[in-house]
Amino acid sequence: MKQWLQRLWGSARLAPGALGDTRPPTIGRGSRPEQVLRPVRPAFIWTTLVVAFLLNLLPWGRAIWVPDFFAVTLVFWNVQQPRKVGMGVAFAFGLLMDVHNGALFGEHALAYTLLSYGAITLHRRILWFPLTSQLIYVFGLLLIAQMASGAVRLWVGGASPGWWIALLSSALGAAIWPLLHSVLLAPQRRPAKRDDTRPL
Amino acid sequence: MEYGPPPLFNQGVSARARLAFFSVVAALLIVIDAQVNALDVIRNGVEILLYPFQRVLLWPRDVVGDFAGYFISLSDLNEENARLRKIAVEQSQRAQLAGELQLQNEQLRKLAGLRERVSPPAQLVTALYESRDPFSHKIVIDHGSKDGILPGGPVIDEFGVVGQVTRIFPMTAEVTLLTDKEQSLPVQISRNGLRAVAFGGSEPMTLELRFLPSNADIQSGDSVVTSGLDGMYPTDMPVGTVTRIDRDVKDQFARVILKPVGGMSKSRLLLVLLVNPPPVTPATGGHEDASGSVRGDRAGAKAARR
Repeated sequence: MKQWLQRLWGSARLAPGALGDTRPPTIGRGSRPEQVLRPVRPAFIWTTLVVAFLLNLLPWGRAIWVPDFFAVTLVFWNVQQPRKVGMGVAFAFGLLMDVHNGALFGEHALAYTLLSYGAITLHRRILWFPLTSQLIYVFGLLLIAQMASGAVRLWVGGASPGWWIALLSSALGAAIWPLLHSVLLAPQRRPAKRDDTRPL
Repeated sequence: MEYGPPPLFNQGVSARARLAFFSVVAALLIVIDAQVNALDVIRNGVEILLYPFQRVLLWPRDVVGDFAGYFISLSDLNEENARLRKIAVEQSQRAQLAGELQLQNEQLRKLAGLRERVSPPAQLVTALYESRDPFSHKIVIDHGSKDGILPGGPVIDEFGVVGQVTRIFPMTAEVTLLTDKEQSLPVQISRNGLRAVAFGGSEPMTLELRFLPSNADIQSGDSVVTSGLDGMYPTDMPVGTVTRIDRDVKDQFARVILKPVGGMSKSRLLLVLLVNPPPVTPATGGHEDASGSVRGDRAGAKAARR
């Protein structure tokens, strides 16, 4: 609490537009200035989710260096727009993924639901941190989802999940988070009107 | 989350309630799918829905493959051609021998009053993609129930047994590889005819022979072939070679690790044998449909493991 107050105080002192500060006006989140974003278009959210799902559908084979694009995109929208993308979406796409992979019906659905719940619960906290720290949260969330999927396998089939595959896959998923962050937020960062006199 | 939102800012059902609902539904689906085949109708529907996307998304890979193939050098092609010619000569020799042997075999079988062996019809298929799930060893092929693929059909390539058709859709079918932990098939050592059951290994891309006594006559390098006892696989199809044997004195059984021979080739062409699944005996549980026999087989293997 004390740290938080200090941080708030710091941001207030360094408020944009203060004497000698020529940075564009922004809203501070902690000590970090952040741009005011435009509202997101639902069509854009759905398009990105479908594209991420189709990326997963590509014939990657057993290449373990390919991250689960859909899971990371799902986490992103859950964190950014928890009111628009919820667990129902996660569940539905999970079922589709199960059919594609020939997995048990509900295995990916359960994993994605858990992932979505974690992201929605943590979304305020995650957004507070800089991008590099967000990676750790994303990694943790993806790992939990992988574990859930592995647990289902153990429970029903008795297949050994290979924990390092889960670790690697989660780490790769977290690695594409910064890229995803910049790409998916780009439409919202765009100015409403082209206006050269305004720096925003 | 400690205090709920006032009704003015009602956000609908709470996240926890949603989590509970969807988790329970998912768990129910998992249990139902693991026990009975009741969800196959839904699965078929979803698969038909996904099928066009899957086919379209295979296109970039095929284009890249074709493009890469265009730049194969002449020397590579010559080399491959020479190698293939050599193999063709060797195989023609063996084919002649096989024809002769088959004739002899038929005569001998007639003399001995045994039933004649029939080789089942086969369907050439192409593997579309491998399942991404690292836990399941499955590939999807481009022929389905529309083309007469039957569940339980053995799948082979030019080197040996690859796996078994475990689920059929109208346009596609799923093949579970031998290396899958839930897959089992009856085999014998070709050197001495010792019978065993091969299971998917605990290490990736291996098979395991279980329930062999620790003093069993088995050596590293022995080739293992199908015994055909299950009535699905034809006899004497290469399965793998023994790579390691752990004979632990404390343990009753030897731990035999095999390296599978099938499924190693780069070509995507496979052969599905159109074998009618044998009737399910009451002991393995009574599913009337054909895919039930595969599951029954699996359940039997599970029971045997215990």
